[in-house]
Order: sequence, then structure tokens, then C-alpha cells
Amino acid sequence: MNKHKFIQERRPHWKRFEALLENASRKSISKLPTKEISNYSQLLREVSHDLATIRSRGWGQDLISYLNDLVARGHNLFYSAPPANLAGVYHYLAFEFPRLFRANMGYFLTACLLFFLPLGISWCVVQNNPSLASRVIPAEMMSQFDQMYGEDSSLSTESEESAEEGQESDESEELPLGNYGDQRALMAGFYINHNVGIALKCFALGILLGIGTVYTLLFNGIYLGAVSGYIISQGNGDRFLSFVISHGSFELTAIAVAGGAGLMLGNALIHPGQRTRFQSLQVRGLEAVQIAGGAAVMLVIAAFIEAFWSPSDDIPSSVKYIVGSGLWLIVFIYLGFAGLQSNSQLKPVGNKRQDSAAETDLNRERQA
Amino acid sequence: MTFTATSETATDVPQRVDSFRHNVLGLEMQVETPENVILTYQLAGPAQRYVAYMIDLVIRVLMVLGMMIITRMLGIVLPGTAFGMFLVFSFLNTWGYYTISEGFFKGQSIGKHFCGLRVIRDEGYPITFWPALLRNLVRSADAIVFYGIGITSMLLTRRFQRLGDLVAGTVVIQERSLTLPRKPVILDKIQPLNKNEIGSFLPRDEVLSLIDEFIGRRHVLTYDRGHALAAILANSLAERLNYSGDPKKVTHYPMAFLAAVYKTFSFAKEEEEQEAVNAYHGLGSPAEVNRE
Repeated sequence: MNKHKFIQERRPHWKRFEALLENASRKSISKLPTKEISNYSQLLREVSHDLATIRSRGWGQDLISYLNDLVARGHNLFYSAPPANLAGVYHYLAFEFPRLFRANMGYFLTACLLFFLPLGISWCVVQNNPSLASRVIPAEMMSQFDQMYGEDSSLSTESEESAEEGQESDESEELPLGNYGDQRALMAGFYINHNVGIALKCFALGILLGIGTVYTLLFNGIYLGAVSGYIISQGNGDRFLSFVISHGSFELTAIAVAGGAGLMLGNALIHPGQRTRFQSLQVRGLEAVQIAGGAAVMLVIAAFIEAFWSPSDDIPSSVKYIVGSGLWLIVFIYLGFAGLQSNSQLKPVGNKRQDSAAETDLNRERQA
Repeated sequence: MTFTATSETATDVPQRVDSFRHNVLGLEMQVETPENVILTYQLAGPAQRYVAYMIDLVIRVLMVLGMMIITRMLGIVLPGTAFGMFLVFSFLNTWGYYTISEGFFKGQSIGKHFCGLRVIRDEGYPITFWPALLRNLVRSADAIVFYGIGITSMLLTRRFQRLGDLVAGTVVIQERSLTLPRKPVILDKIQPLNKNEIGSFLPRDEVLSLIDEFIGRRHVLTYDRGHALAAILANSLAERLNYSGDPKKVTHYPMAFLAAVYKTFSFAKEEEEQEAVNAYHGLGSPAEVNRE
């Protein structure tokens, strides 16, 4: 067989495959008729074989690169993931996220230590000694807190965390604000933008050997603790606690969850175990990002609670305490028990990532 | 004896595979498919990716500006809600633009689409949602000091991967356009060599396809350089063939000589084969068929 003859003979097949590719790239491959798909799979193998033939006979680089690209495109289309749908989102939130979370509980607990311990310490210190608060919190913020949680004001305009980014809160104050519900929608948008952003950054910086994550956790812990201690020392404790208890359940937990995911990234580099550092980073990274995604969803929920429920003045504090405790319980039950039932098995994460699921199982065994 | 033989093969084989798979220098990445075929992808370097990034940046800024105008208009009715929506939008724009575009549009953001780049998994599979999210969340770590960390990481890794690529197991490739190479036009004008002027030597297939490729890409070289290069092969071929025709053809027009050699063996062989096949089937020579 000679090169020209080979090309002459195979050319119509290549052209047909090209046309099929064109056709399939416009709509999803799963929507093609069955006959065309089997045709496609047949042609993909044929063209792969042609590529191997040409390469082994050394029939020219340009022909190789043409067929190479043809096969590459076909391969990419043929092995693409099934399209995402709402059932997948539900499956993720109901099973995969809490399962992955529990499988990597150690990181979460470490993150809790890094976040809640400084929070508690700075809370106690500042509550007993309010003058220290000025070392952590800027002065204008402090006077804002006095106004916000003071007896006559409404809780609606600001919250403790918005203080971290002065510019944005200034902007929102300048705007002529509408009625109550309208203000709440604004704050919901603000919390989503601000809090989820912090959590995602906290996760992502974990790649720098975990240093970024540790810093973010410590900083936010100390800051929030100082703010809480200061407000309570000014005698606004009841208003403040009834405000934060509801959304705190989702918010504070989610920050620790995201921090834990960030620590996973850092630890994958520091302690790769039996793998190379890059391999361990890839395997655990794919798990970590799914945990961080869950944290982001929790923070979005927290943002709505914080915007619409927590600041409302009509609801008595006692109701807020009860509901808030209920929410803490829900978070605990969700993270601790969701997805325990065995009717839906854990799918391997991503493409061809069997080993990550295997590692999850391994971790779980180790914990049991 | 047997022991040394096995140890030889054990050391030889993996080395060859290694040198084949890992080109030390170069922009190519090789992946083995389930059909046991090795595919090569052309990796995209930092410069191309920078261009794509700038296009995306402009688009993102324009999107925010557009959203600002909408916010202002909505703000007449519901100022708070409008601004809240704006904040959610800018959040999605910051953290979700790349994830959504790469995760749901086959690994291409708008800038990458314009530059012909695509994100794929390093095993050659298309990118899915979670790796897309991961590589673009870690973007915020890469972006420290004007992407200093990302660029450093790209320069230190073989496949130009920034940290986000490393952790998500992705690479950015350059897509090439599909064009089937044409038969060089020059061949139509060239006459095959006279059978009486050459010996019985048959050039190998590789040599013929080398000539084919050389002629197809001759425009890349200057006239002189092309002829100088062609002369090397033409001289040694003429010697092997015992070429007894006009020696000027070899020395003065080596490229034309190569083309003639190619035409003689590549096409003549085909005709001969066809003749043999026809004779076998009792059809006679093609000349007879034509006469009928």
C-alpha cells in the first residue's frame, strides 16, 4: 500500500468523520440518533487506526497532524462528561458534599481550632478589657457598632463583617435607600458578594502551603471575637447575640468548612503520602473543591438569613434564640448525618478519578 | 545467558518509551487514548494565554459597566434590590466568569475562543465542572503580584501549568485548524524518469514521503537554501539509482529531480500494481480496457 493510494482510499471516511464532528459539536452528542452515534464510534476507531498506520510508516508530518487533530476532536467529544442537571445538584448537596466533608473531618476540626479558638480568646479578652478593641478595630467602625446595636437604632443598615471593607459599606450608605424589604435585598447581595468571596479566597489561598488559609482564619477569628467582645462590653449584648445566632450557624461553620478545604490543599503539598506532590494535590484538590463548593452554598443560605431574618425588629429576641438554636442543630445534623443512608453510592469524582473515591473510602475506614 | 538477555530488555524498553513520551523541550503534550493511539496536543504558552486573558478582562469590565447601567435604571424603582443584584452579579463576574464559561462551554472562555485555546484535562479528556471551578478558584492565588505566581509556575512546569492547572489537572492547548494536506501542484508538471536511465534500486517508502513533504513545504525556504538541501538527497539518490541521464538535471535542478524520482516510484508503483491486479482478474492491461 502506498501513501497516495491510502489517502485516496481513506479520504472519504475522514471527510465523513469531519462532517460528523461538525454536526455533533453544534448540539450535544447525546441528542444524536443512535445510528449516527454507532457510526461515530466506528469511525473514531477507524481514524485512530489510520493515525497509527501513518505514524508507523512515517508518511509525513502534515498528514499525521491532520489525523491527530481529527482523532483529538473526536476523542474529546466522545469521552465528554454527561451533561449536568438539577438531579446532579441535588445529589451533590444531599449526599456527596456531607460525605466528603465527613471523610475529611480532621481538616475541618483543625480549621475550627484555628478559627474559633482565637475568636473565643479575643472575645474574652476584649470583653473584659474593652480598651484593647481599638487595637484591632478601626475607630470609625467602633462608633458605628455603638450606633447599630444601641437601643434606638435598627439593625438593618450594617453588620459586623461589612466593617472589613469600608469602601463598600460607604457606597451602600450613600445610596438613597428604599423601604425595608428593599434594603434587605441590598444587604443579601452584599453578604453574598462579601462573605462567599472571603470563604472562597480562604480556600484558594490554601494552595500556598496553607499559609493563606491559616492567616485568613486567624485574622477573621480574632477580628470577629474582638467585635463581639466590644459590643457586649458596651451593654448591647442581647441585641447583638439575638442578631448573630441565626445566621451564625451557617456562616461560621461554613467559614471553618472552607478553611478546612484550604488546609487540605496545603497539606496535600506538605504531606503527599505515597503519591508525588502533584498527584496528591490533584486527587485531594478535587475533593477539597467540592467541600469548598458546599461551604459557598451554606454561605449563600446564611446571607439570606442574615439579611431577611436576623435584623427584623418585630421578632422578639427569645424567638430568635430558639430559631437560631434550631438552625445550629440543622447544620449539625446536615453535616453529620446527611447521605449516611446507602441507597445512593458515592460516584467517582470527575472523569477517571476512581482513586480519589478509593481514598475517601480509605479515610473513612481509618476513622471508623 | 538468559539472565543477561532479560535484564537487557528490561532496561531498554522503558527507556525508549520514556524518551518517546516526554519530549524535554517543545510545546507538545502526548496522551494515550483508550484506542491505544498516542495523540499529541500543542500546548499554549504564557504569551497566548495573556492575550486571551486581556480579551476576557475587557469583556468582564464591559459586562460590569453594562450591569451598572441596568442597575441605575432599575434603581429608580427599587434602589436597594437593584444594587443588591449588582453586587451578586459582580460576585459571579469575579468568581464565576471563567468557571461557567470553561465548565459549560467545552473549556473555552470567550477570550480563549478567540485565540483558539481550550482547557482540557491532562489525560486528554474534556474539562468538567469541578476541575473548572477548582482551577479558577485557585486563580486568586495565581493572581498575586500581577499573576507573578502563576507565571512563575508556568515557566517551571513542563506543560505551562499555573497553580490552578496543577491542582485541577488541566492544561491549556492550542487548537489547530483541520486541513487535509494537498498533493503538491508541482507534481503535475514533472515527468517521471525514463526507465532506461535508472537501475533496479527502489527507494524506501520513508524516503518517498520525505520527498513529498519536502516539496510540499518548499516555500518555507529560500530558493538557494532549498536547492542546497535538496542537492544532498538528490546526489545520493542519483548515485544509488545509477542515474545515467543528463547529470545537469541532478546538479542544477535537484528539487525537480527529487520530484521526478517521487513521481516515478510513487505513481508508477501504483499503476504497476493496478496492472498486476487487473491481469490477475483477467482484465488485461489498462490500455486494453481503455480501447474497449
